[in-house]
Amino acid sequence: MTIRVAQLSCGTEYSGVQFEIESAARSVGAKIVYPDVSYDQVQEALQRFGFRPRSQQLQLMIARAVSLADGKYDADAVFITTCFRCAEAALVRNELRRFIQENTKLPVVTYSFTERLKASQLLTRMEALVTIVTRKELLARERQSGLTAGLDSGSSTTKAVIMENNKIIGKDWTTSGDVVQSATQVLESAMKQAGVELKDIEAMGTTGYGRFNLGKHFNAKLVQEELTVNSKGAVWLANRQRGEATILDIGGMDNKAITVRDGVPDNFTMGGICAGASGRFLEMTSKRLKIPIENLGALADKGNWKNAKMNSYCSIFGIQDLVTNLGAGKSFEDVAAAACHSVAEQVYEQQLQEIDVRHPIIEVGGTSLISGLVTAVGEVLGERPIVPPDSQYIGAVGGALLSSGFL
Amino acid sequence: MKVFIDPPNSMILFDLVERLGHEPLSSMAVIQEKVDNIEVDMPPMNVTLDDVVKGLKYAGVEVPSGIRGRLSLWGPMIEAADAAVVINDAPFSFGCVGCDRSNEMTKYLIKRRGIPVLYVNYPSDAAGAKTMVGQIKDFLGGLKA
Amino acid sequence: MSTARETRLLMISPDSKVTPDQLVRNVHTMVTGLLVKETCYGCLVEGTPETVAALMKLVRERYRNEVFSKRRGYPQGDPRRCRAQHGTRPGFAQLEAEWAELPLIQGALDAFDRGENDYDRPAEKRPLPVSELKNICEAYR
Repeated sequence: MTIRVAQLSCGTEYSGVQFEIESAARSVGAKIVYPDVSYDQVQEALQRFGFRPRSQQLQLMIARAVSLADGKYDADAVFITTCFRCAEAALVRNELRRFIQENTKLPVVTYSFTERLKASQLLTRMEALVTIVTRKELLARERQSGLTAGLDSGSSTTKAVIMENNKIIGKDWTTSGDVVQSATQVLESAMKQAGVELKDIEAMGTTGYGRFNLGKHFNAKLVQEELTVNSKGAVWLANRQRGEATILDIGGMDNKAITVRDGVPDNFTMGGICAGASGRFLEMTSKRLKIPIENLGALADKGNWKNAKMNSYCSIFGIQDLVTNLGAGKSFEDVAAAACHSVAEQVYEQQLQEIDVRHPIIEVGGTSLISGLVTAVGEVLGERPIVPPDSQYIGAVGGALLSSGFL
Repeated sequence: MKVFIDPPNSMILFDLVERLGHEPLSSMAVIQEKVDNIEVDMPPMNVTLDDVVKGLKYAGVEVPSGIRGRLSLWGPMIEAADAAVVINDAPFSFGCVGCDRSNEMTKYLIKRRGIPVLYVNYPSDAAGAKTMVGQIKDFLGGLKA
Repeated sequence: MSTARETRLLMISPDSKVTPDQLVRNVHTMVTGLLVKETCYGCLVEGTPETVAALMKLVRERYRNEVFSKRRGYPQGDPRRCRAQHGTRPGFAQLEAEWAELPLIQGALDAFDRGENDYDRPAEKRPLPVSELKNICEAYR
């Protein structure tokens, strides 16, 4: 079954990235399609939608979205993409995303690209769109059964979880080195804790950057991107399987904001162009402060971000801000708080503007253990996020939970 | 003479310039050069990162990639043109010319080139059409002299 | 510019009585060595630039102001631009819009052919001066 992904876009062909988009889609069994619209339909759609951008390619995007909303064109998912730094397109992109969500049940992802976009950067997003369409039943799974394992091979850390009868019975994490070796290490440690052996494990699920490699190595039943897997893990851990929520995962390299309904994502955004606001920046901060990252959050909670000015978008310049502040004699506490605040602010400005935040907000991933960051996110959003227990294990828990669906 | 048309993919302008004895410079010609290049396999258009980087000649890196990609294609044509005919307010500019910022910049590049340019208004009735066609006829006729 | 091939679309003005079928049959008799494909608006032709130029001369003689033409970047039936593969391409809406306007252009060209060479110079429209708008507003007080 080929999944039809309707592309609503401007500038892809002249940026030389259309081929990359189609390659990414093809590699996950999807096909890019454009809803058919006539000139008259464009005029009618603009009238109805009420936004008339000057650029006619954007007008065409609107007409195509209206055609999808009216059910005149058959597609399984929607990919909305426009040039990075185009203000007119950014307005249209976001409003169309909202319009599609309000008027269809199609999963949608938005992306702003530069000419350097490569298919691999889109792979996870395209894969997630396909997973949402093709694995509806699996994603509806709320309980783990049997004895299963989940492996999450992230850019910073590798995590393993063993679950039995809907309970976590073993878990471990380590910093990521060699993909297979790091995973083997944490898996063995988690199995030891659980008192089980590899031959006892009935199914395994892998996710994260190293998922394909690990899936092959361990013969995993489930190899799935982290957007859908993490969502499932997050709602399971937070016991919010029903209703709406926003999952916020500030990762080591990219940040994810995912809106879910009954545990299934319907819109997500994932940082791509810049990693300035990622967990990596906090890692760099703790190194410069010469404190273990585990202590950064508590330190930040004691400080006041307003006392140290840090407002750079870039992690390199951010460190420069930090150095300047330290040089000016600011306290470690204030500087740590300012670093957390700057990450939270950027996540708000860059990721959360691309989705409609639904409540509650569940913050997960390794960075959710940095309490100062959770405080900062709460301040910026005006609502303290829920941080479930074992929040750094979302991917591994999601993997163990979903792979039990294959038993 | 080589006459750049704007919108560069307009059938009406292409046809009028050609039937009045000049060579229209259109987006279709540059796109053909791209798509016929068998050394590049980047469907559908074979526009590559190199092309977008070449667009830096016309607009800085803070300008969206789609604009730079377009300008890298239209720019050399404008440089090769002896004259230009521009429709001021074409109600259509889909396809190659779907980006309004690129279109504004294209108009400016024509102006900056200093070649003879005719600006016509898009007609809404028979009299307007006669004005547009008449102006183009006179302008292109004058170029021969 | 590339000289290997030239692909053209020939578009019949909506006011013309010529049908795509008639156009295609006549195009076939005009020159040889041309690939011709009938379409809803007229036809697509493809050949060497010389053949296409020879054809265009004859088309313009026979269908003076009722058939219009422009080049096309992609070859005929190119899967990269095939509607069956992806759906309509952005340029489709443009062609539709221009097609609808062809009777106006045809009418203007016919008028010049009849020797009616006068035309209105475009009048520049300026916004109403504020003072005049003020007078109008005050008149309604």
